[in-house]
Amino acid sequence: MVQTQSRFPRPDFESGYVYPEQHFFTPNEALWSYIDIALLVLLMGFVAWAVLKKQIRWPVMLTSVISIAYFGFFRHGCVCSIGAVQNVALGLASDSYTISLFVLLLFILPIIFTLFFGRVFCAGVCPIGALQEVVNIKNYKLSKAVTGILSIFPWIYLGFAVLFAVTNNGFIICRYDPFVGIFRLGGELPLLLFGILLLIVSVFTGRPFCRFICPYGAILSLFARVSFRQVKITKKECINCQLCHNACPVDAIRPPYDNIVKENRSTGVKRILRYIVFLPFMVMAGATVMYMLGDKFGKMNEEFQIWSGITGAFIGLVIGLTLINLSTKRTRKYYEIEDTDCVCCGRCFRYCPQNGLSQRREDAK
Amino acid sequence: MKKTITRNIAITSAIFLIAFSIMLITNYFQVRNANTLEVIEALKQTNEQYSDNPQLQEQIRELDLLARKAYFINLNRLKTGVAILLAMAVVFVISLRICFAKSKDIPNKEIDPIDDWAIQSKARKYIVWIASGLALGGAVFALLTSPHLKKENTQIIIAESISVEQVEQIEQETQPAEELTETSVATEISKITHNAFRGNNSLGLSSAKKIPTSWNLQSGKHILWRVDVPRRGYNSPIINGNKIFFSGADEKTRELFCYELSSGKQLWKLEAKNIPGSPGQPPKTTDDTGLAASSVATNGEVVCAIFGTGDLICADVNGKRLWAKNIGVPDNPYGYASSLIIYENLLIIQYDNHNSPKVIALDLANGNERWSKPRPERNPSWSSPVLAIVNNRPQLILIGNPGVTSYNPNTGEAYWRVEVMSGEPAPSAAYANGTVFVATEYATMAAINAKDGSVLWKSNEILPEIASPVATKDFLFVATSYGVVASFDPQTGKVIKTMDFTADFNASPIIVEDKIYLFCAKGTVYMLSAKGNFTLINSFETGEKTFATPAFTDGKIVVKTEKSIYCVSE
Repeated sequence: MVQTQSRFPRPDFESGYVYPEQHFFTPNEALWSYIDIALLVLLMGFVAWAVLKKQIRWPVMLTSVISIAYFGFFRHGCVCSIGAVQNVALGLASDSYTISLFVLLLFILPIIFTLFFGRVFCAGVCPIGALQEVVNIKNYKLSKAVTGILSIFPWIYLGFAVLFAVTNNGFIICRYDPFVGIFRLGGELPLLLFGILLLIVSVFTGRPFCRFICPYGAILSLFARVSFRQVKITKKECINCQLCHNACPVDAIRPPYDNIVKENRSTGVKRILRYIVFLPFMVMAGATVMYMLGDKFGKMNEEFQIWSGITGAFIGLVIGLTLINLSTKRTRKYYEIEDTDCVCCGRCFRYCPQNGLSQRREDAK
Repeated sequence: MKKTITRNIAITSAIFLIAFSIMLITNYFQVRNANTLEVIEALKQTNEQYSDNPQLQEQIRELDLLARKAYFINLNRLKTGVAILLAMAVVFVISLRICFAKSKDIPNKEIDPIDDWAIQSKARKYIVWIASGLALGGAVFALLTSPHLKKENTQIIIAESISVEQVEQIEQETQPAEELTETSVATEISKITHNAFRGNNSLGLSSAKKIPTSWNLQSGKHILWRVDVPRRGYNSPIINGNKIFFSGADEKTRELFCYELSSGKQLWKLEAKNIPGSPGQPPKTTDDTGLAASSVATNGEVVCAIFGTGDLICADVNGKRLWAKNIGVPDNPYGYASSLIIYENLLIIQYDNHNSPKVIALDLANGNERWSKPRPERNPSWSSPVLAIVNNRPQLILIGNPGVTSYNPNTGEAYWRVEVMSGEPAPSAAYANGTVFVATEYATMAAINAKDGSVLWKSNEILPEIASPVATKDFLFVATSYGVVASFDPQTGKVIKTMDFTADFNASPIIVEDKIYLFCAKGTVYMLSAKGNFTLINSFETGEKTFATPAFTDGKIVVKTEKSIYCVSE
């Protein structure tokens, strides 16, 4: 409609014809907001029940299809929990911006569910995750050293999204959403192509957007680390068959590790201490560089520069903590789920022979 | 068997998807690049030339209908195509999933050895190198692009703590090299320019010297020349070198004029015609606005004019048309009136109107859009953009309803925005000493910190309707439409002095040589001292109604009245 209007102005009538006043039907947006929230809670509950209690995957797939259809194509992928991060940030930073209850709930409900049940929102309730889930066919694994680096990007993206939001310079998550054009069946060509490219990549490796771009996923991963109930591959004892490890699309299953000492203990401890000592310097370095770059984004006011410095400090902190995390060793006897990365897709359940055995027994009964 | 079937379906649908996507993308670009509108506009112009040919008019109508039909059919095809593409994508995904339903169970080969510590060590190393590289790169980039290492823009002249005395010095320091060369060749031509509405950067300040303080239009005393205005227009004249530029328009014709400063001789005129998208019938405007209320702007090489039809035309200073375009017919209740301003190689247009209000920067060389930003204003405005230097960087300041917004003139990014205006803003902003001053009648007057957009003070005692305020570091001066003029303390907003001249001020005040030059609509000139107690130095009648703001250069004032344009000279 917008394109049409800008392309073709109304015809000129010299006969004195007056255009009638246009009346547009206003949808009952409040009603749809209630439905959105109700469905969000219902679907997250459904996924939580499936992956925690029943350890089955089909509800996740069903939820994915519903989410793509409703939150994606019907509601056009907006407002979403991922974008709501910016509304919340602006609401906290600005006195003049009032965040609506609907947007606040969109932001807070998945966090609450994650705190209790893990990342059930990511499983298939988020239309973006769901879309990547349904097109995923094969799971070619990426080098963990590379994915370790790429996993920092969502935090950096989050930092920039908050920076631009709180300084009233736009919602970049929404502006550069690669999937909204797909859900709306039209949009800016470069973003559409990027979205399609991500989907093509999703066919061969699980959820590239969720793992390496999504800033909301980064927030949820924090809460997933301390969630009350966490997904288990099997309720029985692991037999270390490795099948679940190969099945996981997001590489969230860690293999057994005997912690064979490659270096003596004191070297490892010294490294961690060195990173801890350097952490404030990394924070300060990030803050300084970003503060200096603050006016290079075309926003030279002081507020933007200060927030750029804060963003830089945050990025420095993330990098420092990542380095510390990568310096710790954990001994595992069995294949275990890394709760921060697990998106509760339930793919591993069927691969586990222990689950299959119990299911076959149940079938026999 | 099932696998073979689904594999074949997947392959077929994949081929279909690729082929169909190519077709759709081709169609998308065809629709986007279709120039049917230009064809229609060309036909309209033909129709205007042969208005008594009903057969031609009928043909044009048919072509118009055909072009519109073709456009919408293409658009519908695109929508249907996307729906088909989506359906086929669903078929592709489902068949692929069924095809690989079993084979995906086979374990993949591990890329990494199952040695967490080796992986972590490698990841740590990568992170340290990449993070250090990025930090170093960022720091180097920030240092290299630091304003302290960069040569300051020569066109922007108003520095942080400006005073009347400093204007002259700064402007002399920042004159373009060509201008100095020209001056050395023809010594009688001043190097002091007046490149836009209210002077350079549109701030109402001029560094001209030896300005006449009295003249008589009837007797010809101190009048170098006087000629009739060739075409109606409320725009203000501008001066660059020995050339004066202004525009004029009526229902049929819109023109840009160039006159010789030393003689008043018309050097050239350029008609804004054959512009694609220009409306056949100009929009309705009120008599006190017309179609040429916007002042033209120049940089000494290119001069540009905009009209109430949305027609924009740019020429070199010798009258050779460089480019022209229509940027959409503005929908303003009285008519479009915002003046142009040039920043470096960008022509900046404040396009506040009911139809998609925006601020646009066009490439001065070819008219291509360099950036454009929508303006979140509730109502149109008639104010003009101004340029200010804050912390050694330029800010483009626009007044709208309700927002006062500062933009980066290079990119269009908003530095800050405050919503303090209402009503119908016509005056432009004033700037001095790090503070932006805005005011309009039935709204408020506000001082805004140009660094962060915070409001320093507000006042609604004495407000101008049309004339823009002017400021120095020592005072803020406003002239109202009901005859009261007032000076304010720029720090506190307290009134220093008011005077009632029982006059109607439309022209904006200009500060030159420590004097405030003020013309009322009736044609009376008021000169006030810009130092001390704002005493009235001189006042006299010119006898001609004056709405335009005069232009100043060394020893000369160019005044455009309702009937004539004249040059006052010592």
